Parts: sequence; structure tokens; C-alpha cells
Amino acid sequence: MKRWAPWIAAAFAALLLPHLFASGFGLSLLNRMGIAIVFALSFNMLLGQGGMLDFGHAIMLGFGGFLAMHAMRLAGLGWFIPTPLLPLVGAAGGLASALLTGWIATRRDRTAFAMITLGLAELVVAVVLMFPSVFGGEEGINGDRSDGPAILGFDFGSQMQVYHVVAVWTWISALLMWRTTLTPLGRLANAVRDNPERVGFLGYDPARVRFRVYVLSGLFAGIAGGLQAINDEIMTSGNIGSEASGAVLLMTFIGGIGTFWGPILGAVLIVLLQVALGTLTDAWQLYSGLLFVAMVVWAPGGLAGILLAHAPVMRAGRLGQLVGHYLRLIPGFALALAGVAGLSELAFRLEAIRGGASTGRIMGLAIDATAAWPWLVAAVLFLAGAALLNRTFPQARAAWQAAAQ
Amino acid sequence: MNDPGSGLIVTGLRKSFGALEIIKGVELSVAKGERHAVIGPNGAGKSTLFHLITGRFPASDGRIELDGTDITGWSAHQIFRAGLARSFQVTSLFPKLSVFENLRCGAMRNFGAGVSVFRLLDGFRPLAEQAERTMEALGLTHRRHVAAGSLAYAEQRALEIGVAIAGGAHTILLDEPTAGMSRTETERAVALIRKVTEGRTLVMIEHDLGVVFDLADRISVLADGKVIASGPPDQVRGDAAVRTAYLGAAAEVLT
Amino acid sequence: MEQGLLVVLNGLVYGLLLFMLSSGLTLIVGMMGVLNLAHASFYMLGAYLAYSISTVVGFWPALVLAPLAVGVIGALVERYGLRPVHRHGHVAELLFTFGLAFVIGEIVPLIWGRLPVPYRVPAVLDVPLFALAGTAYPAYRLFMMLISLAMFCALFAALAKTRLGLVVRAALTHPDMVAMLGHDVPRVFTLVFGAGCALAGLAGVIAGNAFTTEPGMARSLGAIVFAVVVMGGLGSLSGALVASLLIGLVQTVSIGLDLPFYKALSALGITVDVGGRLHDLWLLSVNRAAPVVPYLLLVLVLATRPRGLLGSRSA
Repeated sequence: MKRWAPWIAAAFAALLLPHLFASGFGLSLLNRMGIAIVFALSFNMLLGQGGMLDFGHAIMLGFGGFLAMHAMRLAGLGWFIPTPLLPLVGAAGGLASALLTGWIATRRDRTAFAMITLGLAELVVAVVLMFPSVFGGEEGINGDRSDGPAILGFDFGSQMQVYHVVAVWTWISALLMWRTTLTPLGRLANAVRDNPERVGFLGYDPARVRFRVYVLSGLFAGIAGGLQAINDEIMTSGNIGSEASGAVLLMTFIGGIGTFWGPILGAVLIVLLQVALGTLTDAWQLYSGLLFVAMVVWAPGGLAGILLAHAPVMRAGRLGQLVGHYLRLIPGFALALAGVAGLSELAFRLEAIRGGASTGRIMGLAIDATAAWPWLVAAVLFLAGAALLNRTFPQARAAWQAAAQ
Repeated sequence: MNDPGSGLIVTGLRKSFGALEIIKGVELSVAKGERHAVIGPNGAGKSTLFHLITGRFPASDGRIELDGTDITGWSAHQIFRAGLARSFQVTSLFPKLSVFENLRCGAMRNFGAGVSVFRLLDGFRPLAEQAERTMEALGLTHRRHVAAGSLAYAEQRALEIGVAIAGGAHTILLDEPTAGMSRTETERAVALIRKVTEGRTLVMIEHDLGVVFDLADRISVLADGKVIASGPPDQVRGDAAVRTAYLGAAAEVLT
Repeated sequence: MEQGLLVVLNGLVYGLLLFMLSSGLTLIVGMMGVLNLAHASFYMLGAYLAYSISTVVGFWPALVLAPLAVGVIGALVERYGLRPVHRHGHVAELLFTFGLAFVIGEIVPLIWGRLPVPYRVPAVLDVPLFALAGTAYPAYRLFMMLISLAMFCALFAALAKTRLGLVVRAALTHPDMVAMLGHDVPRVFTLVFGAGCALAGLAGVIAGNAFTTEPGMARSLGAIVFAVVVMGGLGSLSGALVASLLIGLVQTVSIGLDLPFYKALSALGITVDVGGRLHDLWLLSVNRAAPVVPYLLLVLVLATRPRGLLGSRSA
């Protein structure tokens, strides 16, 4: 019963959320989070659980999405294809593309696997652009989700109805992916990640294990693609290309690849960052890139890893000891962050001015990016923050080590 | 004990890496249920011989037979399915998985779990019981949830043997199971090997000649890519060729 | 005939440029086993730095200073970024260089803008050298070729004659042995990584003004360089040279072929139904399909021949 509790709680939360964020903005945020969660979890089936770094994961989402989009257009022509079932079409598309690319890529592991997927990503985008009648060329193809047959009076045109479709599929997909980790294939994926050669001496062909995991991951990525087709009502070559693949790598790793639920954190955080910062500044991509590099170097376990490191402290009831140390990190962190943000925003502003914009405002403040002083202030803020962190961080780490003993 | 076509039979086995020939026509015959030790000076090709038998490298020439079946050229997982399991000289575990999960992986194939994605792993009762039994035999039950990568060296070596035997293979190859162990650890490992290989065929590479004479029914001596002597311990101990091959490092141990 | 010669010359220039990038990457991959996904980003940095430096002191100092600066940045990245990540394994290293490429790709437009910068060929070399098929051949192309060739000579001489070169060559074939001989391998790694980045930077300096210096230049070249390094066999310099020239020529020649497939096929005596289901394919022209070839080769070579077409080390 205990292992089902989080899932029941998630179901209740999913029912409650749209009433807390009932605005169009809130709903579109939730929808994008749901799609990102399914996509990131499917990505982590490969990276976190199977040790496969896939630089072309968006291929599977893209094929699922395009197939679902074509089904949506068929529904517009009068075919009986209910909109809520489009993710199933997406799953079929993702599965089919995974069978094809996986057949090549999963023969190899680690660096070679990653490089093959890198080549596949370039290859597939080029091929997609070569067939404009199927993929719509640069513009992509669009559809209307309310064209499908109405079910119980719902035509799935409204954001709220789309939210319920996304929520149900996200819940089902996440549950099924979690269940996969408890099956023989799930355990073998971990074994192949840790030591592919030994798996061979235990009676399994590691390439076959990789292939099966890859295909399954493609199926779920395809579901995410189907959901995206419903939500966006358009699919373009950008959804299938290496940038979309890079985005899911970023969010999954930032969330944490070492646990099942880490990617969910990452998906929620990155979508928030994208949407919240996206209205304020153009620099959110730079911020998520910097966060990613910082995580690779200092916190390879991601956010989930940082949280997990505190589980033993919490069990020992010593979390209180750390609060003081962690609070002392805040000034340095805030200063450094303000410095980095200031520098990036100034640079962005300067570029806009070069492009012909007026001096304008930075995050609502009247600051002239062509003057020297704001740059100096930002640089001083950053250096002061870094200097403070350089003192307080080792203390906090030592405190954590002492508490975790 | 020696019915023909049963056990492990290696004939005319050769292996070259580039111009360098490491295995130069090995003949080896291990009867079913026998405990067989392969000894020899460093660089004689013992580990390479194991890699060839278990399908890690393809042989350049020769024939390997397991219970009358020609397994030459088979891949590692096929050979395992034919009933032959092995351990490694350099510990080769699943470092992020727990002791219990390592053993469950070792037993998974032969206890019917396949690569199913529909049934839950915990639903395979015999598999879990086999992992439990092996864990108990290894004396690692109290370390059940510890990740293999965090175990002490001797515990890892014990688990290395455990993963090899957990599947219940009828023929087991152990590559220096006691390497780097202390006196007491070695004694415990020998007792463990004796216990878990009861009624099975065992081939082991071992440097500790005390262990070899204690455990083995028969011994083969590998020197410079060839088997120069093979027979019961007493016969090998008196063999002149063996003494010549061993002159230097281990000569005094043999006497 | 003259038209053909022109295309071959351009293909050679492009191929030599690819080799400048792939030789550095091949050394890094061969020695350290790190596939540096940010390698083309250093090429882009070279071009942009050369542009900025040349606006102050002119092109010629920039030709020396920009690659040096890129080399120093590369060495710093290796020392303070890559080395701490090394203990987490190759996948972590890949992730780091991926993140680095991403961040450089965001920072460059931040500093220099999203539009191409006016980085120009120096006036001395901005003259026609000779005319071929009615087209003036720019002297700068010849200069590019000379710089590339001078760089190879320097590289091969450094590998053959210097003590460091000896260690590098030994490390390419026997990485563990070199460490045991007591060489400071981490320091050699930093130097090689920096040198590889400097080579990429030099390529950027001389290519940025011949082509365009814009934020997309790293992305468009990055994957091609991997294709070259993989085809050449990871860690093989001569393999990288052959693969660079091959891809350079194929790419340049095919760009000139604005010929739909159905016409190419009918020239071979095969007629297809242009209005049918596959009309996208038949109407596709050769010059749009050709860019796919290197990626196709990259994927197939890795999947079937892990040692590359010409190399001896496996990925």
C-alpha cells in the first residue's frame, strides 16, 4: 500500500491543480509540465536507468507527434479518431521510429551510442526537411484538436479539457514507467548500465537488453509527442531536432538521473524557468545551460541527488543543525546570482540596442546598458558573492558531513 | 566418473593477438563433477584461456566442447545458457546495485525471469529465494541493501563468486577467486567454494598452491600457452617439466 | 574543365579547413578518450575573437593572438572543468562538453549579437589571384591553403621531433604505459586539449572572414567534424586527413549539382512517376541530399565498424 501512496497523492494533486491555476496561463503551464514530465521520464529510462546518453531523443517524440498530427487531420476529414486517444497514435509513432533508430544505435554502448544518436539527430532533421509533403517543411503541419468526435459532450477544444487529457496520460505513463523499473527488464537495464560485459556472462545479450529498453522509451516519448500535438496543434522540424533533444537532456540531468522521480523535478523546474523568466528576459536558456554545467561539475546527482543526500540527516533528526549553515549560504548565493543575471541582462540589452532597440528597461528597471557603471556594479556583485560562497560553502559542506555521520 | 563426451573438453585451442600467439594449442579435459585447477607462471595465458572458453574472445583455432556440445565461437550469453558460468580476476560487479540485486541478476536467467517487462521481479519467488540462499552462503545477508561498489574488498570478491554461482550453472570457472585475500579470508573462501560447487564441475585459476592442493581433484599446468602437465596433485607435484617451468618464483612452494 | 578545377580547389580549401578542426579533435579523442562536443565552439570563438582583435590592431596580430587566446581558454576549461569531471566517467565528460557547447552558443550572441559580424579579409589578400572559368579566384583562398599546410608541417614536426610529441604519440597507442613511465599525464592532457582548441581557433580565424562569422557557425560545422573524426578512425591523424579531404570535396562538388533525383535517374535509364507517392524524393535535388551523406556515414561506420574506416582504435 505504501508504494502506491505517492501515486494516489499525485492523482489528487492533478485533480486539484487546475482549480488553483485556472487561468489560461496557469493551464498552459501545467500542460507543458505534463508533457515535459513524460518526455523527461522516457529520456531517463535510457540515461539514468540504462546508461544510454541519447542525443537524438526528440526523434521519437517528433515521430509520435507528427503521426498523431496526421491522425488529428484525418479526424478533421471525418475519421472516427477521438482526440484523447491521439497519444496512443503517438506511442505507435515513437515505437516505430525507436525500432528503426534503435536497431542501429543499441548495437553499441556509452560514447559510441551517444555519437550514433548525435549523427541520427542530424540525419533525421535533414530527412524531415526533404519530405515537405509529410512533415510540412520549415513551417511544419498543424491541425485542430476539436475536429475529433465529441465524447460525452467534450470536444477537447478548451485548455481545461486538454489539461485533463494531459494529466491522465501523464499519470498513466509515469506509473507504467515506474512499474518498468520493478520488472526483470528494468533491473537488467541497471545491470547493463553498470557493467554491460558481465551481463553477457549472465546469459543475456546486453545489446538486446539495450534495444528493448530503447524501444520502450520510444513508446513513452511518442506519447509525449501525441500530447504535444494535442496541446500545440502544430508540429515542426524544430520539435524533432537536436535542440529539442538537448533541452530534454538539460531538464532531466538538472532534476537528477539517479532516481526515478528526479526528472519530474527537472521538467517542472525548467518549464517554470522557461515560462517565468521567458516573460522577463530572453536569457533563460543561458541560465539553464549554466545550471546544467554547474550540476555536471558539482552535483552530478542533480536536484534529486542533493535532496537525497539529506535523507540520512533527516532520519537522524539533525536537519535542524544545518539550517543555520544553509541560511549563511544565501547572501553569497544571492549576490553571485544577481551578478550573473545582471551581466547577462546587460549584455542582452546591449545587443538589443545594437539591433536598433531603445535603451529600454531591464527587468522593469531603468538602467542604461551603454553606461559603464551598471556593468561594474554587476561584476562587483558577482565577485563579492563568489568570495562569500568560497568561505561559507566549505563550512556548510563540513556541517552536512558531520550531520550525515 | 569419466563418461565420454561429458564435462569440458578443449582441443588444439589457439589464440593470437596480432603477431603474438598467447595460446599455442591447449589440450584440456575436465570430467563432470571434477574440481580442476589451472596453475602456471604469470603470463602463461591462464586468464586468456578462460576468456576463450567463456566466449569473451573468439579463438583463432581449436575446439571447445561442453557436455558433448561444440560451443566454439558461441557468444558469452549463449555459453552461459549452455550451463557454464564464470567469475573474473578483476572484480566485475554491478557497482550501483545492492548485494541482493547483484545476486538476483546472477540468477535471473536460469530462474525463469527472462527479459519480461510485464511481470514484476518480486513476483518470481524461486528467484528471490535463490538470491537469499546464495547471500546466506556468502555470509553477506547483513549487507543485503549495500551497493556492491561500497563493499569491502574481500566482500566484493565473495560477491564476485556469488554472482557466478547464483544461476546454478553446472560448470563454473573461477578466475583467481582468492586473489588479494588475507589468510583467514582465503580459508573462508575455500570453504565457500567447496560448499557451493558440491556436485558441479569446477575449473579454477589459482596462484595460492595451498588452496590448489587442498581443493583440486586434478591439476593442469599451463606454461607459455601450452598445458605441460595434467593429472592428480601428487603426480603434478613430481613432474619434472613443471619444476622447470616453475623454476624461480614458485619453485620452493612446490617442494 | 576549368569549372571543375575551380570546384576541386574550393573543395580542397574546405577539406583542409575540416582537417584543422579534426586534427585537434582527433588528438584529444585519441589521447584522452574525450569526445569534445564543444570543439566547433572553439572554432567559433576563434573567428569572433579574431574579429574583435582585428578591429583594434588589425588582421595579422589577430592571426596569432586569437588562436593563442582560444588555446588558453581551452586549457583552462580542461584544467578546471573537464578534469574534475573525469572521475565520473566518459558519459559525464560528454555531458560537460555538451553543456559547454550550449553555454558558448548562448554567450557568443550575447556579446557579439545574433547577426553576422563584419569580419573581413585583409585588404592585401582581398585581390583576385587568377581567373578560372571566368571567375576570379581570390588570393585569400590560397593563403588559407598555405596556412593549413604550414600548420600540418608544424604539427607533424612537433609530433615527430619534440619530447612532448613523443609522449603524445606514445599516449595515443599506450595510454597506461605513459603514465607508468612517470610522465605528468594530466599536464600533457591540458596541453593537448589547449593545443587542439588553438588549432580549432586558428581554423576559425582564417575561415571566419572567408565565409561568415555568425552564431550558427559552430552548430553547422560541429557534427561534420565528428563525422570526419569517426570516419578517419578515432585517434588517427592520417585517417582524419583523408576523411577531411574526402568530405570537403564531396560536399563542395555536390553543392554545384542542382539536379533533381528523377532527372539523375532518367540519365541512368530509370523513369519514375514524379507525381506519385514518393514525389518529394524524386523532386529532391542532389545538392540537398548530399549534406546527409557524412551523417549517414557517421552512423553506419560507428554501428558496424567501430574502429572507423581508417583507424585502429575503437570508440
